[in-house]
Amino acid sequence: MQLAYYPGCSLQQSSALYDVQSRRIFSELGAELVEIEDWNCCGATSAGKVDDFMAIAMPARNIGIAERAGFTEMVIPCSACYSRTLVAQQRMADDDGLTSEINAELDAKVNGSLKVSSILEALEDRIKAGALEDRVAHKRTGLRPVCYYGCMMTRFPYNVPVPDDVENPQGMERVLKALKIKAVDWNYKTACCGASASVNDPETAHNLMARIMKDAVARGANCFVTTCPMCQMNLDAQQEAFCQENDIEARLPVFFITEIIGAAMDIPPEELQTDRHFIDGTILLKELEQHDEKGK
Amino acid sequence: MAAPAIDINPDQAQPFLKEVMDRSGQNLSACYQCRRCAAGCSVGDETDFFTPNLLIRMVVLGDRERALNNQLVWKCVSCYTCGTRCPNDIQTARITETLKKMAKAEHLPPLQPKIADFHDAFVRSGIRWGRVNEMEFMGAYEMKFALRNIKARQFGAILDEVKTQAGLGMKMTQLRRMHFGFLIAKGRKEIKALQRKSKQRATH
Repeated sequence: MQLAYYPGCSLQQSSALYDVQSRRIFSELGAELVEIEDWNCCGATSAGKVDDFMAIAMPARNIGIAERAGFTEMVIPCSACYSRTLVAQQRMADDDGLTSEINAELDAKVNGSLKVSSILEALEDRIKAGALEDRVAHKRTGLRPVCYYGCMMTRFPYNVPVPDDVENPQGMERVLKALKIKAVDWNYKTACCGASASVNDPETAHNLMARIMKDAVARGANCFVTTCPMCQMNLDAQQEAFCQENDIEARLPVFFITEIIGAAMDIPPEELQTDRHFIDGTILLKELEQHDEKGK
Repeated sequence: MAAPAIDINPDQAQPFLKEVMDRSGQNLSACYQCRRCAAGCSVGDETDFFTPNLLIRMVVLGDRERALNNQLVWKCVSCYTCGTRCPNDIQTARITETLKKMAKAEHLPPLQPKIADFHDAFVRSGIRWGRVNEMEFMGAYEMKFALRNIKARQFGAILDEVKTQAGLGMKMTQLRRMHFGFLIAKGRKEIKALQRKSKQRATH
């Protein structure tokens, strides 16, 4: 089967590893991610702070392109892109005037037939269809991740159909359960990492991330798992700094959900570019691999 | 620090409240000050005494000056916790996003210029090229930061920023997380046409 795929800007740049992983994992699960043609930036949260009309118009063009190509579902791994696209679609569905104003400027008009899916929804669909059973090796079950959802997967600035519980989402836990990996329960799964504040207001962002880190460590997790490239980059690249500032000794790798699935499938971490983390994730995976060997 | 008395201004209150409600799409009159938003605010420790409920009260009572110019408006990270928990379905983050734009339209200097510059540079890059180029927009953002600090003769701040960003850039390059190509969407003409429409809408 084929699914429309919107990578977004960060999956083509600093989080290119997530692009490689998403394509690979979906292909292992029997679905091809087809990148939509000539897509544009979704505007991210910045557009909402600068220009309300553009915050809807920018994702609208991508929806139109996917619909014109005949797709019924589009997968968006980046949480911010997913949120902006879902909100834009709902805003247009609720406002015909706005829709025609935007459509007037678009080559590919929006008609509202596309289902916009987060990576978790699409993964869960594949798992429900039984695609994981043939493929999963149930390796690295010694992973003890805390599932970190952040903001954009769960909370939206507009009333949209939310696929998971807003205060205690379970999508990632369900995926991990299918892999026989036990997620660690904790309090900060939907807390904010500070997003762009890590650049423009680092003190605030570091305070927020230190709290997230402290709970993860106190609960005995050995890694984070997330779906959001912004959360991943922040917790990974800033970890050394905010841990030093807050006397936290532990360091935890920050994995994308796709890397955890890859590990359970016994895909070598290098093939998924897991060696591109600031906090080296390959050490933990190698330890667990040796553990798997011993258990044989 | 205690909250300051709000400057009540009935004449100004009605048009200001209406403008914020229209632009944000939020019904501020529905707020009954339960403070669930304040309890859950991610940046509550960073905004002095400003909480989302207090911001709403300031708008309702017409304290335009402080509503447009406070730490919460600028430090709000748009995590949308307040709006998700509001019993009256008010998305306060949409209000902070709206007040930022209103402050800019009135040429008020932003309380947190780095934050304002960041979002401007990001959106400008996305619209100009159709896709955001991380190095280009970060470069534009850092240039603005440097110019502002040269004017203020804050050379130490520039040096600290250069050190931090250069360190991060080096590490990202080592880890092959720096992208040296350039992203462009051909459809950026459509995006620019939409932006012209957005500007026309704003003037009507």
